[in-house]
Amino acid sequence: MKLTKLILCLLFVTIWVSSKAQEKFTISGTVTSQKTGETLIGASIRIVNTSFGTVSNEYGFFSITLDSGTYTIEVTSIGVEPYVKEVTLDKNIKLKIPLSDASTEMTEVTVKSAPKGRSITSPQMGVERLTMNEIKGIPALFGERDVLKAIQLLPGIQSAGDGNSGFYVRGGAADQNLILLDEAPVYNASHLLGFFSTFNPDAVKDITVYKGGMPAQYGGRLSSVVDVTMNDGNNQDYKVSGGVGLISAKLNVEGPIQKSKSSFLITGRRTYADVFLKLSKDSSLKNDKLYFYDLNAKMDYELGKNDKLFLSGYFGRDDLGFGTTFGLNWGNATATLRWNHVFNDKLFSNTSLIYSDYDDKITINTGAIDANIFSQIKDWNLKEEMQLFLNNKNNIRFGFNSILHTMRPGEVTAASGSSINNSSLQDRYSWENAIYASNTWQATEKINVTYGARLTAFSILGKGDFYNIDSAGKVTDTMHYSAGQIVKTYLNLEPRLAVSYVFNPSTSIKASYVRNVQNLHLISNSTAALPTDKWVASTNIIKPEICDQVSLGYYKDLANNKYELTVETYYKALQNQIDYRDGANVYSNDAIETQLLFGIGRSYGLEMMIKKQVGKVTGWVSYTLSKTEVKIDGINNNKWYNATQDHTHNIAVTLSYQRNKKWSFAANWVFYTGAAVTYPSGKYEVGGQTVFYYTGRNQYRFPDYHRLDLSATRQLKQHKHYSSELNFSLYNAYGRANAYSIDFQQSTTNPEQTEAVQTSLFKMIPSISYNFKF
Amino acid sequence: MKYLIKICSLFFLISTLASCTKVIKLNLKNTTPLFVVEGTVTDSIGTAQVLISKTQDFYSDNGFVGITGAVVTITDDSGVVTTLAATDSGVYQSPTLVGQQNRTYTLNVIVDGQTFTATSTMPVKVPFDSLYITSEPSFGSSKKTATVVYRDPAGKGNSYRFVEYVNGKQQQALFVGNDDFTDGNKNIVPLNIFGSDADSLSNRKINTGDSVKVDMQCIDKNVYEYWYSLDQSSTGSSQSAAPGNPVSNMQGGALGYFSANTLQSRSVVSF
Repeated sequence: MKLTKLILCLLFVTIWVSSKAQEKFTISGTVTSQKTGETLIGASIRIVNTSFGTVSNEYGFFSITLDSGTYTIEVTSIGVEPYVKEVTLDKNIKLKIPLSDASTEMTEVTVKSAPKGRSITSPQMGVERLTMNEIKGIPALFGERDVLKAIQLLPGIQSAGDGNSGFYVRGGAADQNLILLDEAPVYNASHLLGFFSTFNPDAVKDITVYKGGMPAQYGGRLSSVVDVTMNDGNNQDYKVSGGVGLISAKLNVEGPIQKSKSSFLITGRRTYADVFLKLSKDSSLKNDKLYFYDLNAKMDYELGKNDKLFLSGYFGRDDLGFGTTFGLNWGNATATLRWNHVFNDKLFSNTSLIYSDYDDKITINTGAIDANIFSQIKDWNLKEEMQLFLNNKNNIRFGFNSILHTMRPGEVTAASGSSINNSSLQDRYSWENAIYASNTWQATEKINVTYGARLTAFSILGKGDFYNIDSAGKVTDTMHYSAGQIVKTYLNLEPRLAVSYVFNPSTSIKASYVRNVQNLHLISNSTAALPTDKWVASTNIIKPEICDQVSLGYYKDLANNKYELTVETYYKALQNQIDYRDGANVYSNDAIETQLLFGIGRSYGLEMMIKKQVGKVTGWVSYTLSKTEVKIDGINNNKWYNATQDHTHNIAVTLSYQRNKKWSFAANWVFYTGAAVTYPSGKYEVGGQTVFYYTGRNQYRFPDYHRLDLSATRQLKQHKHYSSELNFSLYNAYGRANAYSIDFQQSTTNPEQTEAVQTSLFKMIPSISYNFKF
Repeated sequence: MKYLIKICSLFFLISTLASCTKVIKLNLKNTTPLFVVEGTVTDSIGTAQVLISKTQDFYSDNGFVGITGAVVTITDDSGVVTTLAATDSGVYQSPTLVGQQNRTYTLNVIVDGQTFTATSTMPVKVPFDSLYITSEPSFGSSKKTATVVYRDPAGKGNSYRFVEYVNGKQQQALFVGNDDFTDGNKNIVPLNIFGSDADSLSNRKINTGDSVKVDMQCIDKNVYEYWYSLDQSSTGSSQSAAPGNPVSNMQGGALGYFSANTLQSRSVVSF
């Protein structure tokens, strides 16, 4: 691979060429919020009157090495007052930088040049960050603020539809998003069959989405990385906050363990729709269950000057029951133990031990059938990452990651006397290892480069049976493997390259190339994302999915950084894409491969966004024009066809208006082309009923989708230790009947005819919620 | 299993949210009609029958439009050929052909210069023990439901299809199952668990005094796959992962199937 050689050469050349004999010192430290003590991620640290600068990492840490001398450093971040300090650099300096919250009026009047929400100079592109303040302003269904719904308003990120928490990034399928909560993968990020996401916004500090040019430390999914960081907790004061809404109540408690050093946080949320069911006169409704809860907890502890421990966990469950006859219960549990160690001013290390579990259980009791079906995916994950702030021109990251996956695709447990037998699909084991290294190099004053690579080895482990399959999908051969035996190892090298060229401090262009490899695939028997969808690992037949993406972008800050303009284009080529055979049965079948077909895909598009981050009116307008197609052997005569996630046009407008100290208003409007979908082209009689005749997959489209949401927030009287607000929202304000599904059936009015019936959800949903803080 | 999930999620959506449905007019392509062949041979006399028709456009009238002039034969595995005679438009029958368990039959249809063939093996008959009406919970109330009882023999590979008639009218729903999860057990199956879709489920109704008849067919694996995939992907439900034509044993480019199956019937009058 030529590119890899080039990257390796660059690594050696650039690191050593740039250092000369002059005496150098390092400024390192941590950026925090003065009010809460929370570390701030992605704060910009700039050395005034030079081209040097850096950003704080995931733990608020930064380091920059300069020639001895006197410098002015300026630290900025969205929503905080800029911090300026003069330092004389004649030795290594350690700084703790507390930033105070910016008040809205201040920002409007005094700050001429607003802090940037993104970096013009950094080669990183295809990245979107949303602050909790921005998310707070966005109107939401039932007033439940939702980080995953909020990111779907950004260019290149497409909602999978009403009542579906899935989303498509640059034409990627919903299972191609790596969703991380404090580094732990979340395998099903939905509550209540997809109406809400698992992330309680009160517990979230930061959300960063990579659509392209993924840094080398991330891997395992093709389309995106959604990196959600939990709050650490307030290390200054004990705080309690909470809220009561139409469907859920929340409570958040946080406070210091060691003042200014360490803290804890516990956040819980539970819906109470089921409480209303209990009030129902209908006896069977009374027994129905319908709720979810989740709990986030985090604590950190400073062991010494250079060591900090973080323990964070998430536990969430949904319980849906239909009398005593049917139950569906699912949830995620994750735990992350992290150890930050600062070896010296230049070398920062983080070691993480991560556990992640997703399981679901279906319970059926119909008299004759009394059984439950359990399935699970479970990960143990060890990660080590080093960040070497080598000098003012090179910033190196390297590390490894080792994950053991255990999948239990389906275990049936029956009561005695039930007509169902105990049975179990084979457990599947796999071991995913990766090493990576990357360097961000300031090549010249105008050119910055990030280059690196990630090498992944995915080993499929026994015990289990694996199959050979013919073109008709019939098993021709079964191979038995014993426990721990390696069935196959897929070795893949993923080069990562990104370059930026800075025309001036407010204008740049960037280009990147990235290869991603994915070895876990989500198999569903439905278009609606269900909790019972199954994750399967690559096998001898299911090959790792591979995506090569190139992208090019133009970035411009306008009117003293008040407006940000971003234009990006991308082209993706995908290999080993998966689709279903006609009439696929993904349940009750050991050899899942017999139900699948494989092929290639391509996706390309243009994304534009203009964003305003300061002032009384903030928000953005985004537009995406894109195309996503697949070509699968055995579908549509092996010709290219539109993927389900293909939406030609996608527009999102998000505005919020801070009228005065009491009132703020927000609105968002979305429009997108309907998804590619399979409709019948004819019908016929068989078995005494009318069934439908299909001539191809995804040859039609859903009607276009559009929706307006509104919200208003009233700040109630503030007391010294107590503040509260009321939030009113209206979802789908003009009552557009968007298609949730279209079914084909015998006409209810004329049995001689067939008809298409569109089902819509959510026609004008008003809601009210009350939030407090003390 | 899938149906329960689907039904319950639909129930959830419909009952808790202000959802609404409306009939919409879609611009669906007109297609070149395709032949549809539906062939059965059973172990009961006078039931061997082949129906030949064509597909129709979505917005034309329903109903069976038979195709005449076909040459239809069924050959058993000893080489005995039975020719089926046209009795009505598109309906071809043999009054004498009786299938036998464990024997393989081949259907051959020549029509308009095209030849369609299919093979099916009649499985061993599993006794249809009983049929009765039960009251099953349904969306917060209860509903009279035909319930069938049979004992699956030990050893996987048995597949079943049930056809329900109320007052002589066949119900618009597919009931197919196999013994993947129930091998060797007594099965008590209310005919709504396998039910086709939520909509037909709520439309079907049994009233006091109605006479209910159920046919039980023991079908071979390929025919089970046909009915299963037809139910999964051809009944017009938008929830299907991959709507499409069913997996068929018919060769030569026609839709439909050929099934050699056993046939038992039971009747009951509803309480």
